[in-house]
Amino acid sequence: MQMAERVLAVEVELDRLTKHFGITAAVRGLSLSVGRGEFFTLLGPSGCGKTTTLRIVAGLVEPDEGRVLFDGKDVTRMPPWDRNLGMVFQNYALWPHMTVFDNVAFGLVERKVPGSEVRRRVREALEKVGLAGMEGRFPSQLSGGQQQRVALARALVVRPGLLLLDEPFSNLDAKLRVQMRSELSRLQRELGITTLYVTHDQEEALVLSDRIAVLDSGRLVQAGSPRELYEDPKEVFVADFLGGANLLPAVVVRAGTGEVEVELSGRRLGVPTDAELATGQAVWLSVRPEHVEVTSDSSGELRATVQATDYLGWTLQAELVLEDGTCLQVRGLDPSAPLRPGQTVGLRIRPERARVFPRRA
Amino acid sequence: MMRRCQRVLLVLLATWLVPAGALAQAGQVVVLTSFPRELFETYKAAFERANPGWSMVVVSKPTTAGITQLRERAGRPDVDVFWASAVDAFVYLKENNLLERYTPPAELRRGIPDRVAGFPINDPDGYFVGFAVSGYGIMWNTVYMERRRLPEPREWEDLLEPVYFGHIIMSTPARSGTTHLTVETLLQGYGWDRGWRLLVQMAGNMGALTERSFGVPEAVIAGQYGIGIVIDFFGLSAIASGQPVRFVYPKVTSLVPANVGIVRGAPNPEGARRFVNFLLTDEGQKLLFRPEIARLPVRASLYVQAPKGFPNPFRMSPGVRFDANLSAARYQLVTRMFDQVITFRHAELRRAWEAIYAAERAVEEARRRGGDVSRAERLLRQARASARLVPVSEATAMEIAREVDRDPAYRAAKEREWEALARQAYGRAVQLANEAAQAVR
Amino acid sequence: MEPQAAAVPAGSATAGRRRPGYEPAHLLLYGLLLAVVGVLVVLPIASVLRGAVVDATGFTVAHVARFFYTPLYLESLRNSVYAGVGATALASLLALPPAFLLGRYRFRGQGLLVTWLTVPLVIPPFVGAIGLNQTLGRAGVLTLLLEDRLGVQFVAAEGLRGVILAHALHYFPFILLTVTAALANVDPSLEEAAQVAGARGLRLLWRVTLPLVAPAYAAGAILVFVRATDDLGTPLILNVKNMLGPQAYFRITTIAREDPDGYAISLVMLLLALGALGLATRLGQRREVATLQTGAQRAGQLLRGWGPWVLLAVSMLVGFAGLLPHLGVVLLSVSRVWSLTYLPTGYTLDHYEEILFRAPQFVLNTLLYSTTAAVLAVAVAVGIAYLQHRGRVPAPGLLDFAATAPIAVPGVVLGVGFLRVFDHWAVPGLGVPLTALWVVFPMLYVARRLPYAVRATSAAMAQVHPTLEEAAAVSGARRWRIFRRVVLPLVLTGAVAAGILVFVTAAVEFSGTVLLISRVEQSPLSYGIYLYAQSPRGRGAAAALGTVAVVLVALGTYVANRIGGRRPTLTW
Repeated sequence: MQMAERVLAVEVELDRLTKHFGITAAVRGLSLSVGRGEFFTLLGPSGCGKTTTLRIVAGLVEPDEGRVLFDGKDVTRMPPWDRNLGMVFQNYALWPHMTVFDNVAFGLVERKVPGSEVRRRVREALEKVGLAGMEGRFPSQLSGGQQQRVALARALVVRPGLLLLDEPFSNLDAKLRVQMRSELSRLQRELGITTLYVTHDQEEALVLSDRIAVLDSGRLVQAGSPRELYEDPKEVFVADFLGGANLLPAVVVRAGTGEVEVELSGRRLGVPTDAELATGQAVWLSVRPEHVEVTSDSSGELRATVQATDYLGWTLQAELVLEDGTCLQVRGLDPSAPLRPGQTVGLRIRPERARVFPRRA
Repeated sequence: MMRRCQRVLLVLLATWLVPAGALAQAGQVVVLTSFPRELFETYKAAFERANPGWSMVVVSKPTTAGITQLRERAGRPDVDVFWASAVDAFVYLKENNLLERYTPPAELRRGIPDRVAGFPINDPDGYFVGFAVSGYGIMWNTVYMERRRLPEPREWEDLLEPVYFGHIIMSTPARSGTTHLTVETLLQGYGWDRGWRLLVQMAGNMGALTERSFGVPEAVIAGQYGIGIVIDFFGLSAIASGQPVRFVYPKVTSLVPANVGIVRGAPNPEGARRFVNFLLTDEGQKLLFRPEIARLPVRASLYVQAPKGFPNPFRMSPGVRFDANLSAARYQLVTRMFDQVITFRHAELRRAWEAIYAAERAVEEARRRGGDVSRAERLLRQARASARLVPVSEATAMEIAREVDRDPAYRAAKEREWEALARQAYGRAVQLANEAAQAVR
Repeated sequence: MEPQAAAVPAGSATAGRRRPGYEPAHLLLYGLLLAVVGVLVVLPIASVLRGAVVDATGFTVAHVARFFYTPLYLESLRNSVYAGVGATALASLLALPPAFLLGRYRFRGQGLLVTWLTVPLVIPPFVGAIGLNQTLGRAGVLTLLLEDRLGVQFVAAEGLRGVILAHALHYFPFILLTVTAALANVDPSLEEAAQVAGARGLRLLWRVTLPLVAPAYAAGAILVFVRATDDLGTPLILNVKNMLGPQAYFRITTIAREDPDGYAISLVMLLLALGALGLATRLGQRREVATLQTGAQRAGQLLRGWGPWVLLAVSMLVGFAGLLPHLGVVLLSVSRVWSLTYLPTGYTLDHYEEILFRAPQFVLNTLLYSTTAAVLAVAVAVGIAYLQHRGRVPAPGLLDFAATAPIAVPGVVLGVGFLRVFDHWAVPGLGVPLTALWVVFPMLYVARRLPYAVRATSAAMAQVHPTLEEAAAVSGARRWRIFRRVVLPLVLTGAVAAGILVFVTAAVEFSGTVLLISRVEQSPLSYGIYLYAQSPRGRGAAAALGTVAVVLVALGTYVANRIGGRRPTLTW
């Protein structure tokens, strides 16, 4: 049974996609490839072009330039109804004049699937999303989470080669979001369906994705597994957007291959890097808040003043100010540490976890 | 399935779009008439029964609007027959070359005299045919008269009495052909000057002037007004249907045929002839006796079969021998002047006579007290003269009648002139009457 | 429906696709609709304007100028404006006390009172005038009672006063509904702020509450003004001639179709209506600020103290006054003889037999014309709404603007325009002008009621989120299927409700009808009422037809409200 349910997942390739709305460029020369059965996320702030990219893949928007390939076949000009897709919209887009059954059956009816099979597959799809017995209800009689599930069932029932999800959980409350997230993850793995997921929520992206593409202003910044992106951001934007790194202004004092030495708040630090940096160049020193060690005796490399502390029970986080006035977040501190606002502390940055990026004036 | 539905819809649409008459059976006749529903519906049913396969289409318009339509569609008319009371409308149409000559077969003319009360029943030149006779008179609501303790009127002059102030109603000649005939009858019966003075003063007594002639009997029947100036059949049919009304022919009245004529270039000439013939058959003539119609047939021999109390025009001697040519020649002049001096200035005219009556009562009072009323009486005489305006003398009227008829700009200028005259005269009458009242206080 | 079926589906799926350039199928539909609206709306209005300012010698202002130095026309203008102001003032007087009661207090039977007070909306003013004649006219029940019992001779429903009364009694519920809604929606914090600042009682009412509901009131009031100013049927029934509508009608029908004065009068009527509606729009713009954004209704107060009870008593009186026209019409429709008595002295069903069996064409024609008009109007409106929201065409707003323009055009003016334009359009194959065919009536009704249909359908279309269509496209539905299965069903309830309102308003349209009518066989109900109202044997049959009209309108409004779920917003 499980095997029968598995679909013929497609491989998606986006080739130098460009799309302008008026004079603003929504997508600029975007190339990506999504593997068969992969859960791929487009992540970025609003306006970064991720939704437009998704809609280009769906065929709802035609790109100005570039191609969309499904299993190597150019589908750029193919209308959406011929692409065999499942799509979940941010607002679910359930048809209010149809029952749950009719909503889910819609795509099957369009595909001229015989009636008895329609009934069976709709029932199965609804069972899969935990909505068995809700066939006769109208969308307005369902809760937000239930509507979400209907939308998912509707997208999956046609056994699409590609599932597209446009911020599907943004209208749900936090608890439900977490629950739906894991259900989606389970279903996706079960069905082995290629999935393109759009979100601005980094946590969602990290939890769900096989791979993530971070987009900014219509441009692909970096693509890779969640771990790669988090641990080895190639651009300051990724470091900042994913996990919220501390960006500290520093200057290269000694350039080198594989490692540079930078000066931060009067102290020198050796940091590994791939980037070509020259001596005297202004850089951002990117440090994750959990990669900063705080010592109460102010004996570390750097000295800072505690501005505020947040006690979260299992952990403690703090906002510090370096001597040159730069702000810095620290987390993962021992909750029993006796930090008080106004206190002067010492800091140690683990250089192997820090990164440097060129800083433009 | 879909395709077939669409085809059926298209056929339905096509049949819908075509007017009923165009899918003609044997044929149709389109009749333009000013007659009330009761009359044309009865005739339509009878005509279609008597002429199987023929249908009669009615275009109902006031006579004047009918003339406008025929004039605007000269040469490409969309109606076949013009059927109305007003004989001068037919004279007008004939002179403007809008009618077709037609003489009905001899056997249908049998028993129809040449004249009624001296007036030719058929057009001597054969352009239109009389099928019924009408006279003009006064109808009143008996309940109303009792309620207001009003005496029953007999003659037109009676209606000038102050006691009737606000209780009389008539229609306007510009939009009702029969009312125009009534007005012409008065103008011809009393002479131009006296006739106008009578009309203007009578209008001062009127409560309202209705849009169409039907409004008059309707208002009298409902008791909104007591007395109406009407064509006879309105009164007779109301009596016949049990309403509390009476009707009288005053001495100065005329008997004039109601007519039918074939429109020049009629699209259905045969239908038109059939219709005209039908009106003159015994069956068509006897329909006139029906209570809801109550008109006087032209076939004199039929009156032995008339309902009880039905007037016989061939035994009456009305005071006026109607001159239809004169009436037609000054049609525009009379109707426009009536509108400007009476219809549209009715409020001012009423105010003038109200003031005069008030002043008269004051003078009467003063006279009883033995006061000097000579100045007041002089002022009152002037007031009454001013409130009985005749804007144009008979001689001038005949001079300008043609111009008024032909030239819209000239007509518009005259209309403004008459309106100004009327406003001024009625305003002055109020002023004089008030002065008279002051003088005896 | 046919052209639409062919053209609409083309663009459905491209809803969110914003490729520069236009969709050919949309352009086709756009062109078609532009042609329809152009012929039905733009051409007639333009023709009236042309008739007013162009003659054989070319452009001229002489005709319009003549309007302003012809005392008769000036008097008509004065009377029309007077009737408008009078009707507005009286309607306000009738509407405001119950509006305050309903908007501010909560009590049992409130819904019943609302229904009762909105009943006058179902009787068109010119039908109401017939009924008023029987109750407040010269021989009316109340007039006679007043005279017999109190010795007072006063005729309320006569002449201009009658016109004012007929309109005020018909339209006051309109003001009532808008003001009630506005009062209920006034953000309580605005009043509370004023109370904290020290304003109380009448001062609070005067300085804070009334200004807040004023825009809503102005919208309702100006509508009353416009309708009473440019009406034709009511003055004709009440025998009032010196008003703009009747004067234009007389000039065109009895002087000459090409009479320039008729067009000049029409132009003045048009300008008057435009001016008033422009004013309404300006006043309406201040509106949103004052109302609750959430749409939450404020809790009403209980009836405490004598104030609200007085309001209740006044409201019931208003309710009775509002029923006077209905009472008169229904009684008259079954009366055989009713002459100067309180009630008819003889009863009969003859009048109903007459209009239902002997001369059923009035009712049948009305059903045919109104149904056709409703279907056409909805089809056109759905097309316009679709293009407005989804169309990939140049200037989609143009179509919407042209289609809603007739809202400011008096019926007389549109009727005159129709007469002027379509009398010269020969129908191919039949050799008769278009005005000789019955389709000219549905065409007129479509033109007159298109604004309402377009507004309602457009509102329904705005509710259809583009993603609903995209979801269908992604699910495998092609353009026509998307339109059929998603767009149409979603817009349909709104469109059907709009269609029913078009139906009922078309069923009682008079001003334009009376100008276009030629054959009695083609008369709809409204003209039938006018014909029978002039019957020398009394107005019984007119009243019977009027009763049928009232029943049609009441049923239609009820059904439309059930479907559309909104308060009646009827205007003829």
